Amino acid sequence: MARVAREMVEKAGINVDELVELLIKNASAELTTYYYYTILRVNLIGLEGEGLKEITESARIEDRNHFEALVPRIYELGGKLPGNMNEFHDVSACPPASLPADPTDIKAMLEVLVEAERCAVRGYSYICSLTAGKDHRTYALSLAILNEEIEHESWFSEFLGEGPSGHFNRRGSPSPFVDKFMN
Amino acid sequence: MTLRTLTLSELAQYNGKNGAPAFVAYKGRVYDVSSSYHWRGGRHWASHQAGTDLTLEMADAPHSAEMLERFPAVGVLIEEEVSPTAWLTGGID
Repeated sequence: MARVAREMVEKAGINVDELVELLIKNASAELTTYYYYTILRVNLIGLEGEGLKEITESARIEDRNHFEALVPRIYELGGKLPGNMNEFHDVSACPPASLPADPTDIKAMLEVLVEAERCAVRGYSYICSLTAGKDHRTYALSLAILNEEIEHESWFSEFLGEGPSGHFNRRGSPSPFVDKFMN
Repeated sequence: MTLRTLTLSELAQYNGKNGAPAFVAYKGRVYDVSSSYHWRGGRHWASHQAGTDLTLEMADAPHSAEMLERFPAVGVLIEEEVSPTAWLTGGID
């Protein structure tokens, strides 16, 4: 634990135990999404599915990176991950991004993907609002993750016909925003 | 469906814990959010409790009230009744 760092956050008026709980829930959402996206990506096949495979893979790898980036902050603030993986899965901030009953239904797949990203966007927006001007490190980390989650949402949303994402998919290394928080 | 009336203390019983349904109030309406993944155990985002009036907290939420409207409205929040003789027993100032 980083004792003084935690004290600073407490002194700024944040309920650190609540914040740590939120970070653990979001770390769980990231790791479980990484797992469920693996299954979705494997099933994105055929003429329609293949076009989504690359962005799903980018989102999958970046969600795993988000988990990696969140863990040090949880421990710095005096928190810890549950010792039991089942328990960790069940505290996830977002519902499981499960494979639709009909895996050939690409629209259903996209809806699962976009809903998972929207849950993440709401979650990190909330953490950013909670920590802005108070817990600078958690804010910077959450903002970096939020930047990537917004991009993921826009990629999938574009395929649902909701309008252009405004940018191209990833080139080069993954996690352009979160990379600096990776140990 | 007829909406029932609930006071804040009646609402508090629907806190989503120990098998109780999870109800929340917003702008005078009471919603049953028991079926929501995000309200499991009567808590939402580590900061919000079922069985309470969320009208003020909603201002800081990263979503609109539309999210609540996905759930059935089950009641209307009303003021607690105060006995006309409560002042005799020190019940009110």
